[in-house]
Amino acid sequence: MTTTHPARRRLRRLDWLTVALALGGLLLLYYLAPLVSLFLSAPPGAVAASLTEPTVVSAATTSILAAALSTLVGTAFGLPLAYWLARADTRWTDAVLAAVVLPLVLPPTVGGVVLLTVVGPNTLLGDVAAAAGLPLTRSLAGVVLAQTFVASPFVVVTAKAAFEGVDRTLEHASRSLGKGRLTTARRVTLPLAGPGILAGVTLAFARAMGEFGATMMLAYYPRTMPVQIWVSFVSLGLDAAYPVAIVLVVVSVLALTVLDTVASNPWR
Amino acid sequence: MTGRLRLDGLTKRYGGFDLGPIDLTVEDEVLTVLGPSGCGKTTLLSLVAGIVAADAGTVSLDGRALDGRPPEDRRVGLVFQDGALFPHLTARENVAYAAADDARVDALAATLEIHDLLDRRPPALSGGERQRVALARTLAADPDALLLDEPLSSLDAPIRRRLRDELHDLFRTLDVPVLYVTHDQRSATVLGDRIAVLRDGAVEQVGPPEAVLDRPESEFVARFTGCENVFEGTVTDGGVRVGDATLPVTTTRPAGTTPTVCVRPSRVRLELTDADGPLCGTVRRRLNEGDDYRVVVVIDGLELVARVRPSTGRVLAPGDTVRASLDDVHLL
Repeated sequence: MTTTHPARRRLRRLDWLTVALALGGLLLLYYLAPLVSLFLSAPPGAVAASLTEPTVVSAATTSILAAALSTLVGTAFGLPLAYWLARADTRWTDAVLAAVVLPLVLPPTVGGVVLLTVVGPNTLLGDVAAAAGLPLTRSLAGVVLAQTFVASPFVVVTAKAAFEGVDRTLEHASRSLGKGRLTTARRVTLPLAGPGILAGVTLAFARAMGEFGATMMLAYYPRTMPVQIWVSFVSLGLDAAYPVAIVLVVVSVLALTVLDTVASNPWR
Repeated sequence: MTGRLRLDGLTKRYGGFDLGPIDLTVEDEVLTVLGPSGCGKTTLLSLVAGIVAADAGTVSLDGRALDGRPPEDRRVGLVFQDGALFPHLTARENVAYAAADDARVDALAATLEIHDLLDRRPPALSGGERQRVALARTLAADPDALLLDEPLSSLDAPIRRRLRDELHDLFRTLDVPVLYVTHDQRSATVLGDRIAVLRDGAVEQVGPPEAVLDRPESEFVARFTGCENVFEGTVTDGGVRVGDATLPVTTTRPAGTTPTVCVRPSRVRLELTDADGPLCGTVRRRLNEGDDYRVVVVIDGLELVARVRPSTGRVLAPGDTVRASLDDVHLL
């Protein structure tokens, strides 16, 4: 019988899964510590008081309204595209999907630049819209355009996966039961893809709420919350940026809660 | 006969696979389409239901051309292999999906004995229960033709048998053409008024079950419908010679012709003997298949498979000498 050195025996008993967690734990700490620090840095009273300040109220109103509109636009046009991508039997789907994903990987400021070449001042579309009383830059419309560009791809890619998760046989069954495409989509496909679609909508809304780069290029005014954070920071210092930052953290946590409850979290 | 459901020259090409041209007519009857997996059975149903567009050919139902019509305009009911129930709806909501009213749902629930299941969702149903609900859902739409895609294939044997017997009775109460595809010969003969044997996308033979089983028109049909004894033979004055053995067959074919000989194992009788003589041989293998034995006998070098009922007497064992008699020999 051989005897093993106690230290080696302990090493053998070492659970490598625990080691993996210990290493990853450092990264986890790096995510969470600044958030905790933010909440500790801003006294609750001061945050509550500043939430009623006109600039903060105005930024929050603009952000929520614009994000709601851009999510609506992204969903209205994104769901049909997602359905087409999930169901079309053509080699073009790959190219179309690449175009959809492009805004996700494009730096947002570049997104702003390319948008300005189409809707900016001195462009045909920009001039026509401005003449019609709906300026596409330095306006709520500008904020919505910027947010839609960067956020709507979330609806398309997430809903596409959700539609693909619906067995086509069920759609065939519905149609052989005498229901047309539209009824089938409404009564079979959409309910089954619902949680996935809701996840895409939630992600798009969260992304729109946080949109900064493209918004700065298209519509510095009216200020959204991310723009307000930046303005407060450069003009008054970090302390002035805390209240709005905390509001945005809360929005993000709410979005995550939606993803993990009623929606189907695509990353889980 | 005009055929209530008519398939004329129906053709579909998928990559390297060709289905058709298929010509079939179905009256107020059950036509079972029997064939191995991959022979195009499901595609055939998809073409009739309008889920897949045909490359050529026509489908008509009661004289109404279905070609080019979407599935929802065909009034063709389709029962899928796994039921394809809507998982987000209860059994009742599934059946009611295309039903005219609640009374229809309740009537079908009574017929298919699914009343107690109506509040459950599909994941809480067994395979057999799912198929009952799926059948009720399809019938609730009052289709003018009924198609079924191997609805029994994923069920356990006892449930499969019970549901198969019930389907047999149910089909006789419907006055619509029924097209039932299966790879299971027993389902095909039990349920079908006629059987169409499908091979590599083409109909090989159509006829009543007895005709297809007893008088197959090709070696494929013979083998696929359970005829295990298929040999190349030569007609002689005394019968048909297969290898060194001579089978006592009366035929009008001239001596010297070389037919394919088919003998179903159930048509081979074996009896113990001490004597040597024509069709005497030795038992090589005996396999217990439950209700009967599969016995392989070697007669003059020829392997003959017999299906033998366990009798009260001694059971044949390997090494036994037996005499075979053939009740029915079919020549191709």
